Amino acid sequence: MLDLIIRNITNRKVRSALTICGIALGIFAVIVMGAMSENFHQTFERSMSVTSDKIRVFAESGVFGGGLTDNKVSDVLRVAGVKDAYGLLMTTFDEDKMGMTGKQILGVPPEKSSVALYPVELKAGRYLNPGDSYHVVVGNNIKREYELQVGSKFEIHDKYFTVVGILDYTGSIFDNAVIIPLKTAQDLYNVGDSVSYIFAVPDERVDAEMLSKRIELSVKGTSTLSPGELEVQARQSFMIFSVITISSGLLAAIIGGLCVMNTMLMSVAERTREFGILKAMGAETRDILLLTLGEASCMGLFGGVLGILVGVGSVFIMNTWLAKTRIVLFLITPRLLVIAMLFALLIGALSGLYPAYRASKMSPMEALKHA
Amino acid sequence: MPEEQEIILKIENLSRTYTQGKIPVHALRCACISVRKGELLAIMGPSGSGKSTLLALVGTLEKASGGTAVLDGTDLTKVPEKLLPRVRREKIGFVFQHYNLIPTLSALENVELAMRFSGVPKKERKQRAKVLLEELGLGERLDHKPTELSGGEQQRVSIARALANNPALILADEPTGEVDSKTRDSIIRIFKELSTKGQTIIVVTHDPEVAKECTRVLRITDGMIKD
Ligand SMILES: Nc1ncnc2c1ncn2[C@@H]1O[C@H](COP(=O)(O)OP(=O)(O)OP(=O)(O)O)[C@@H](O)[C@H]1O
Ligand SMILES: [Mg+2]
Repeated sequence: MLDLIIRNITNRKVRSALTICGIALGIFAVIVMGAMSENFHQTFERSMSVTSDKIRVFAESGVFGGGLTDNKVSDVLRVAGVKDAYGLLMTTFDEDKMGMTGKQILGVPPEKSSVALYPVELKAGRYLNPGDSYHVVVGNNIKREYELQVGSKFEIHDKYFTVVGILDYTGSIFDNAVIIPLKTAQDLYNVGDSVSYIFAVPDERVDAEMLSKRIELSVKGTSTLSPGELEVQARQSFMIFSVITISSGLLAAIIGGLCVMNTMLMSVAERTREFGILKAMGAETRDILLLTLGEASCMGLFGGVLGILVGVGSVFIMNTWLAKTRIVLFLITPRLLVIAMLFALLIGALSGLYPAYRASKMSPMEALKHA
Repeated sequence: MPEEQEIILKIENLSRTYTQGKIPVHALRCACISVRKGELLAIMGPSGSGKSTLLALVGTLEKASGGTAVLDGTDLTKVPEKLLPRVRREKIGFVFQHYNLIPTLSALENVELAMRFSGVPKKERKQRAKVLLEELGLGERLDHKPTELSGGEQQRVSIARALANNPALILADEPTGEVDSKTRDSIIRIFKELSTKGQTIIVVTHDPEVAKECTRVLRITDGMIKD
């Protein structure tokens, strides 16, 4: 039967090609939008996994309200169940005033730098040590962009820093981080002894959610975000993003599906007489359905393959182009490819369903009388 | 010869009424015909007299309004809808005025197609299609598409297709309606040959030259036909 299906498709070259392009365009959109969502998802998951063990403590008035200073760290440390705590000053990188590229300066106490970065590993060099001042550990993307090595000079806010460590690539926010000693950061930005957050590391076997509440109650003027709460917050914004990107992709693909439905209805109407002949020859309803549904599904298949090829190709080109600016926007995952392909087939088959039904329901004599 | 042969098709009181809006059209009224195996039966009658309707009913392309038609032991009017395709495949071959070949398929593939639906293995059906077409003098035209064949050649392909599944009955609706007299004669010759080999054929025709060559001629007027 497959040969007949292929023959019907190739026999109407231009029309089939246009239909296939319609689906391909839809699947292309699914791939590009999906790749964006996948990339976001991956960064999100990895960022979650590298920060999930810590409780964030910030000033009641909010992150930008100020008012959180170094001396609160010792208050947090005193809360039972807190294993470790440190203040952290977070600002966007000077060069990037709008914060668009996500490059961040993290001021951390040198002696806590390995704890603050855990579980991210060093690719080269060392973490910050007590006594470090104009020393810096850089994330992997920063290293690539500025072509840094251990020992290189790196300019921040008109001051030169010596690179002492380079982090492994993680796919998380740490890839764009520039880590300097807290004191140096506070001097550099003239903020006295303020910090943006205090991170509290819970003892093993202490419930982070409970501890989070306890810190909030016992340290005056603070509010906390437990790992669980953070995840819920982040997941919500991630969901919204995914829904927007994926539905715009799906919309395009559905338009592709209508394209197939239109073509199939046309081709079924044109071949009314042919179906009559097939029925007179003893074709079962099943055979007729197979022919029409098969044709629609094949167009879905071809459109899907084409859309995936073009989509993956463009994503690759865009990523290479963007690599220079160090922004990764797209990620093709196996599951995205599988979903796109299944979707193409589904759209093909679904939009072939009604035309196939029409073809199979025709009375043979009526069909044969059809001009 | 036909008298000694068993009756292969027995039509009794077969009728068909179309309702065109509110007015009933009696396309066929109580047809009663018995056809013996190997007969080449001609049916003649004016336009609109119900010839095509009769063939459509016997060919199970349409449902009868009443009566019975027993072909090769099966009452066609009682076969459930689901089993009709099988009856068409196994018992009936059609030859149409307009040939009705599938335009995208070659001569060989058109003949093969009939056997495809009955599940004949590929090799076997190819072989049989080739033999049938060669017997009808189309050995050189196997891979030609219908548009590359003359009307007479197309009609021979469609006869080969009708024969593909060894049907009990061939129904031909004005098979010579669109061909010249020479081609017509060759088609009649094919039918006569098939008939002497035991193939039962009903031919609807307007052409007395065709009717003359048949073993029996029946006339139909206003949907009425009797043996
Ligand atoms: N689907 C239908 N609906 C209503 N009336 C129909 C239908 N099909 C056929 N008829 C009517 O039934 C009658 C017989 O038609 P039929 O096609 O059997 O004639 P015919 O003898 O084959 O004519 P011709 O020689 O022109 O082919 C005609 O009056 C026709 O108008
Ligand atoms: Mg007719």
